[in-house]
Amino acid sequence: MNLPLFVGAILNGLATGGIYALMGVGLSVILGLLNLPNFAHGALYAVGAYLCYAAAAGPFGFWAGIVAATLGVAALGGLIELLGVRRLYGSHPDYVLLLTFGLSLMLTEVIILVWGPIGITFQPPPILAGGVDLGVTVYPKYRLAILAATLLLVLATWLFLERTRYGAIIRAGIEDRDMASALGINIRRVFTVAFAAGAGLAGLGGALMVPVRGLLPAMGSDILPFAFVVVVLGGLGSLPGAILAGMLVGVVQSVMTVIWAPGADASVFALMSLGIAVLPQGLLGKR
Amino acid sequence: MARPGRQRSLRHLAALLAFAAALPFAVRPVVAVEIWIFAIAAMGLNLIFGYTGMLSFGQATFFGLGAYAGGLLLVHFQVPLFAALAGGALAGALAAAAIGYLCIQRAGTYFIMLTFGFNQMFYFIAYKWTALTGGDDGLPNVPRPPATLGAASIPLNTTVRYYIFVTVVFFVLFAAMQRIVESPLGMILQAIRERPERAAAVGYNTKLYRWIAFVIAGAYAGLAGVLYGMMFGIVPLDAISFITSGDMVFMVLIGGVGNLYGPILGATGLKWLSEVVSVLWKRWPMILGAALVIVVLFLRGGLVEAWVRARGAVAARRAARGAGAEAA
Repeated sequence: MNLPLFVGAILNGLATGGIYALMGVGLSVILGLLNLPNFAHGALYAVGAYLCYAAAAGPFGFWAGIVAATLGVAALGGLIELLGVRRLYGSHPDYVLLLTFGLSLMLTEVIILVWGPIGITFQPPPILAGGVDLGVTVYPKYRLAILAATLLLVLATWLFLERTRYGAIIRAGIEDRDMASALGINIRRVFTVAFAAGAGLAGLGGALMVPVRGLLPAMGSDILPFAFVVVVLGGLGSLPGAILAGMLVGVVQSVMTVIWAPGADASVFALMSLGIAVLPQGLLGKR
Repeated sequence: MARPGRQRSLRHLAALLAFAAALPFAVRPVVAVEIWIFAIAAMGLNLIFGYTGMLSFGQATFFGLGAYAGGLLLVHFQVPLFAALAGGALAGALAAAAIGYLCIQRAGTYFIMLTFGFNQMFYFIAYKWTALTGGDDGLPNVPRPPATLGAASIPLNTTVRYYIFVTVVFFVLFAAMQRIVESPLGMILQAIRERPERAAAVGYNTKLYRWIAFVIAGAYAGLAGVLYGMMFGIVPLDAISFITSGDMVFMVLIGGVGNLYGPILGATGLKWLSEVVSVLWKRWPMILGAALVIVVLFLRGGLVEAWVRARGAVAARRAARGAGAEAA
């Protein structure tokens, strides 16, 4: 294999891996707090992408799209928690899962109704168009920007969770919901905020991917299994684990695309199978 | 004690037979065939979801693999009918044995995510490996060979004949499932559902039993997949899609989880709904999604509970009316 191709593949992998990490962190927080796999996470990612596309047509372009996607999807996530998920606390977690699955089908259908079933391509903003010469290879500017942006976002999320008071409250909720509640924390509000924040990260991830992969109604269900792999591989409730696993999954998938494209997606699941067999707790999981 | 139980099960059997006889007149015969096929797959899911307490979101993996295995055997090797069915069931069981082994390492939430993840993996493979599966266009020209038993050979060339055949297959598999559920194995599975820790403490290897249930469900789904491929003579990519997995979960759910007759009710309800609604509107996933949300938020026990509630409401009104009449 030639070096430029390989370097390009690794950079590509890190960029998509960053998006996987964003998805994984959001899922992991929701999973850790509410003990439910949010099946709507992929659909929220897709809604973010389409909101970004819609807002980018306005006067402020792509940047407004990113803001709209993040805030819009965060609001949607908050609403889902308040009106749906909240009603099911105390019943079997399977029901919450089915609720989010039903919502994901509906959101995807809404996308098809509004924007049509056919894929849409989207050009990155002019500032980030074109390529950069990295010495070994010429690499698209926009993907480098994504890489930088996701690294920053992942870092910011980590700092928020590890270094702020609210982050500590969320971690306390993940660790022991009842104890946190007994100490006077309004755990219900934490749930809503965490759900909205996780959804916002998914929406942001969707928006960032628009210039790379374009838009497709099924984009949510396409990425969801990878986000699940990230969470499983990283370890339940482990945010650094989700970040590490996201990067790993992105790089493995991207490098495999260069080596043997038809096996790229399958290799990610092979990696996960290996992970479960060798490290059932995940890379950095404690439980 | 055994006698009334037996009488009741005979009554149930009679009701089921009457239902099977009436079904192709109530809906289009093709839909009736589909109902039994999905009832078979959902019956397998009910064993792991309803009786063992593990929600698999990936039964379409085994349904689809069975459909492809049976379809490929029929297309390329012109195997007899029962060999194709056995091949599909075997493919489903083997895949379930491998995937199940990995998935049952983690219970609960992880289990669900893993079954879903593997489903998508096989979907991607089927989608991209067009030389084998036909990808998005499906695997076409799947023949429907005659049912040969000894010297007798019955052609299944009409929908009504195929309906009768599928119904017979269903009844055989239903009887087998009833046996499984009422056997010591079934009791252990239900014990694992109720209290996994206690079942383990008593000395049962819970992982082994979960795995056995998973493999049985995989075989049921695989066999149903072969029947599905022969229905229209094509294995569509949809057979292995996660939407199909969701359909099956929904069938078990609306039928009533852990009820032997639930999958029949659920498959009938769902396919009937899709038949009625698709005339009005083509976007089936929207209807399914909305139905899921409504059932989960308002009708958690499924159709069985809805029936019980409706009956309770009628009884209460009647009682109130009776009380009112007495007061007057």
